[in-house]
Amino acid sequence: MNELDADAAAQALAEIQRHQRQVIDQAVVPGWYWWAVGALMVVLAVGVDTRTHAVIGGAVLGGAIAVFVVGLLSATGVVVSGQFLQARLRNGLLDGRGVVAILGFVALIVGCTLGLAFGLRAVGVPYPATLACAAGGSALGLGGPVLMRALRRIMLGNRAGSPR
Amino acid sequence: MTDARFDDLIHPPTRLAIVSLLAASQWADFKFIRDSLNLSDSALSKQLATLEQAGYVEIRRGFVGKRPRTSARLTRAGRTAFEQHVAALQEMVAGSGLTIELADGLASDDLAHGDLPRRA
Repeated sequence: MNELDADAAAQALAEIQRHQRQVIDQAVVPGWYWWAVGALMVVLAVGVDTRTHAVIGGAVLGGAIAVFVVGLLSATGVVVSGQFLQARLRNGLLDGRGVVAILGFVALIVGCTLGLAFGLRAVGVPYPATLACAAGGSALGLGGPVLMRALRRIMLGNRAGSPR
Repeated sequence: MTDARFDDLIHPPTRLAIVSLLAASQWADFKFIRDSLNLSDSALSKQLATLEQAGYVEIRRGFVGKRPRTSARLTRAGRTAFEQHVAALQEMVAGSGLTIELADGLASDDLAHGDLPRRA
């Protein structure tokens, strides 16, 4: 058997955790992605707000939907393919708390954006969807990295050798 | 609770690094492992072959388009051996007065290098 002393064992544990952190860090969604999705939300909202315009409404909405779909698929593809070509995270790293954090974040952004849009429309503010999505998109851009830090923290806590 | 069992096959630094990367992954690309650990192709191939012979690692060779692609993942036996090895290391550390100071930490988001053990 080994004749490892405690110092060497602690060094080995630290190395184990450092290498697992490399895998976790390559999977973190970059900050630009959240701002890109936020901007695409605004583009879509412009289409929604101009849809009733007699002359250009239909064309603008159609174009906005196309830009939103293509942009979202492209941005997501870039992020996912980069991770797909490197390493796929083990499922157990992201536990129920991570799932709750993701769902809660999405619900918060969508709920607040829709609520704000309907509220602005109710009081007669022009371009309510655009204004609400500008706010929601900004919240997404600012909150996305915060969510990623929280998820990273959860995953670091769930890697092998972490104190429980 | 995982049984503690020191694994002499896993413990050498390069193999420990490879298995640690794979332990956090469902699977990992050969190039990702190589670049993350600053290994040469031949050095990584040799270590993966040793782990594969022990039944700890499964290696998949395929193509993405026309490009050959090799990836690796821990087998169930490999993951069990790794977890037991980690438990053995933790047992050695426990009671010795050492703690592991994590630079990534659960206390900080700093990504600096060098998780170093410290005397508590």
